[in-house]
Amino acid sequence: MAEKFEPRIVAFLCKWCSSAGSDLAGVSRMQYPPNVIPITVMCSGSVSPLYIFDAFNKGADGVLVSGCHPGDCHYIKGNYYARRRIALVKELLEFIGLEQKRFRMSWVSAAEGTKYTQIISDFVEDLKPLGPQTKLRRKI
Amino acid sequence: MVNVEDLRKEAQRILREGKVKYVIGYEKDQNGLLPKPAFIEEPEDVARLIWNPTCVHNLTKFLVDEKKRKALEKKPDNRPVGIVVKGCDSRAIVVLLQEKYIEREDVHILGMSCERNGVIDEKKLAKKLKGQNAENVEIDEDGNFVVTSANKTIKFQAEELLAERCLECPANYPVIYDLLLGEKAKKKAAEPFKSLGKMESLSEEERWAFWTEQLSKCIRCYACRSACPMCYCDECVVDTINFAVTADTTASEKAGKIKWVEKSPVPSENFVYHMVRAMHLAGRCIDCGECERVCPLDIPLRFLNKKLEKEAKELFGYDAGFDPNKPSLVSSFKDEDPEDFIR
Repeated sequence: MAEKFEPRIVAFLCKWCSSAGSDLAGVSRMQYPPNVIPITVMCSGSVSPLYIFDAFNKGADGVLVSGCHPGDCHYIKGNYYARRRIALVKELLEFIGLEQKRFRMSWVSAAEGTKYTQIISDFVEDLKPLGPQTKLRRKI
Repeated sequence: MVNVEDLRKEAQRILREGKVKYVIGYEKDQNGLLPKPAFIEEPEDVARLIWNPTCVHNLTKFLVDEKKRKALEKKPDNRPVGIVVKGCDSRAIVVLLQEKYIEREDVHILGMSCERNGVIDEKKLAKKLKGQNAENVEIDEDGNFVVTSANKTIKFQAEELLAERCLECPANYPVIYDLLLGEKAKKKAAEPFKSLGKMESLSEEERWAFWTEQLSKCIRCYACRSACPMCYCDECVVDTINFAVTADTTASEKAGKIKWVEKSPVPSENFVYHMVRAMHLAGRCIDCGECERVCPLDIPLRFLNKKLEKEAKELFGYDAGFDPNKPSLVSSFKDEDPEDFIR
């Protein structure tokens, strides 16, 4: 019997909100799929488009960028820059023909453990029918 | 109509008065139709300068080279450089000024208005002439192209020969200049993103198939990067060298030499390279079309940049290369930027 496909998600979580939010989900013993590989970054604004392309290149099935809600950024405006940049990345990825559902962005505050689990569960559910991401994966 | 004599006169004047180090312009090339870049240092040589619809090149890349060269000189000559620019090239200068890569005093801009026209697309012309060599291309009073080929003159409608980017040009006159030749004839393109329409109407899978086919051709010669006036980084992110990691390699050495992209020209790596380039040009590309023109494999690279230009315009109301005092696209934001894609 073929093994069931379990997507691998790379999540760039900002240190101040989203990472703390995922931590809250953890310490509160909330259940969510173990498919996510969290990478803590200092700010969602520090996520270079290259990180995202590289994650897909190294075989991620989905990439999530998550930061503080607008107005809550620890660095005042990092997430506003991220919002602009990620919008462009999203358009570009769609334009070259990657499935739209493979890349998303969210705002998760340190108190939103439930929202974090919800986002991850939704993401996993959306990725399962798509199958493995082979388009941008490195083939040498 | 632009009179090339006016250009020569002005170039001669600034050279004679010692206002500029040299003037960068176009001169007739013995091989083929397209001119070659001319670097004129002596006032007597200004007769070499030409101006016609075959002047397709964006010469502002030489300003970048000039700056890099000057940084290495012990006693640099700090006089400005004269440069002949079209509308699109002048916007490249605006972006360089905006990013404070060059100073306004570093350049003396001889702006040439394309008036109601633009430059030709060499490939379109070659197709029309069916293998014959064109010798000269001029514009007549009605804005049509007059092509001289093997002692024959053939007239073409402007739309038949104009480069794609000229058909979609937002402003075909220089936006910044010390001298403007020709009138500031505003000819707003009716559909500034027309060429994208066909691509966007395709389905996801069709787009993927299209780009796979196109980017698989890429041999990673980096001609697009070399010709681009915006690609001025001293060290490019895709150029990380192979280096041996030993016990003595420090963490910072490893961190500073991440190999983001493999050098091998395989589709997966080409995708990363071209996407990174497109992202780095977001809000900076002024659509001079040089990347596509110099591509030896005819990859439609303009599409990628045009797409982000369109999104910058539609999502954030940003036009690249019009105001040197405005912050750049990705270093600014507005409270009302769209965020409906964010959960």
